[in-house]
Amino acid sequence: MIPVWKIFLSFLKIGGFAFGGAYAVIPLIEEQMVTNNGWMTFAEFSDLVAIDELTPGPIIINSSTFIGMKLAGVPGAVAATLGCVIPGGIVALMLISLYSRYKEIPVISEIIKILKCMSAALIFSVLLKMLMSAVFPEGLESINILSLALMITSFYILKRFKTNPLYVMLGCGCINMLIYLITK
Amino acid sequence: MFKKAWLLFINTFFISMSANSGYAMLGVIKNRFVNKYRWFSKEEMEDYIALAQSCPGPIGCSSAMIIGYRSCGIIGALSAALGVIIPPFIMMVLVTFFYTFISTNQYVRIFISGMQAGVCAMLLDVVLGLFSGIRKMNKPFYFAIVALSFLYVRLTDFSIFYLALFCIGTAIIKTLMIKRKVDEI
Repeated sequence: MIPVWKIFLSFLKIGGFAFGGAYAVIPLIEEQMVTNNGWMTFAEFSDLVAIDELTPGPIIINSSTFIGMKLAGVPGAVAATLGCVIPGGIVALMLISLYSRYKEIPVISEIIKILKCMSAALIFSVLLKMLMSAVFPEGLESINILSLALMITSFYILKRFKTNPLYVMLGCGCINMLIYLITK
Repeated sequence: MFKKAWLLFINTFFISMSANSGYAMLGVIKNRFVNKYRWFSKEEMEDYIALAQSCPGPIGCSSAMIIGYRSCGIIGALSAALGVIIPPFIMMVLVTFFYTFISTNQYVRIFISGMQAGVCAMLLDVVLGLFSGIRKMNKPFYFAIVALSFLYVRLTDFSIFYLALFCIGTAIIKTLMIKRKVDEI
């Protein structure tokens, strides 16, 4: 069993640096869970991102509760969720008390801008990894054409019709299942 | 005061239960507290949302805390935060039970691996959105940060946290330099 305080510390780090929207947390989780601690495999991590999309609620809270629960049951889930919420909460309270006095803080807005650039690059990097594992599941020799086709179609549908991503993803799952049943 | 805190908790609880993402929550929060309860003006609310976006972590939670703090101090902030956290928490605890139970099922695996492709498409959409936001700022400086961060995570094994610290440092130096220039003029 992984000690609960270790889970808490990992999620403090994840929560403290997740700038730039809900998806900013994904690269941080990958680093903490897969690379640094080896608590999850990359495949499990990819599953997690899919599950996040299926379930309501903020992605950050969903994934931390899920991981905490998997690693150490309910205490783990509590530790992970608190860990990922506390840094943001402290910053929020600090900012709101500063705001009541100064209204505008140029350093903060500059920090946010730069961190957003950083997280765009990080998300892109994780995306590349996920793409490779979806399209080339067994190395570069064998290409999974179905995955590639699903991906391109989904992207087109998302862009063109601004569909709710949830439906697109469910569609992908269904098509994959259907083709499996037909070709079996 | 406790009545206000209770109202905050109940409202954020139901908003969190029904909203799909943090950004969806913002809209509902704004509608509730500005139009229905009239605790804040529309302008105040917009400032709070901007502040919430500057916080790390879940934006729904930080915006709820800010509103809570402004309406009845720390107690308000805590009760609003709890309201946001509890519904997804309970939900995910249930999902985990479900997942460990079914994840070994072959059909579930095939379904999820199909979803993986959709996830990639969606992330691509998100990344392109972020990049176009950066392009609109139209400053090579920000592109340099993007390129540098990308090379950093792909080529080195160092932690993301050093990169984040470096970025924060750069931001502070940059603001100081701009300020000095303005002072000289």
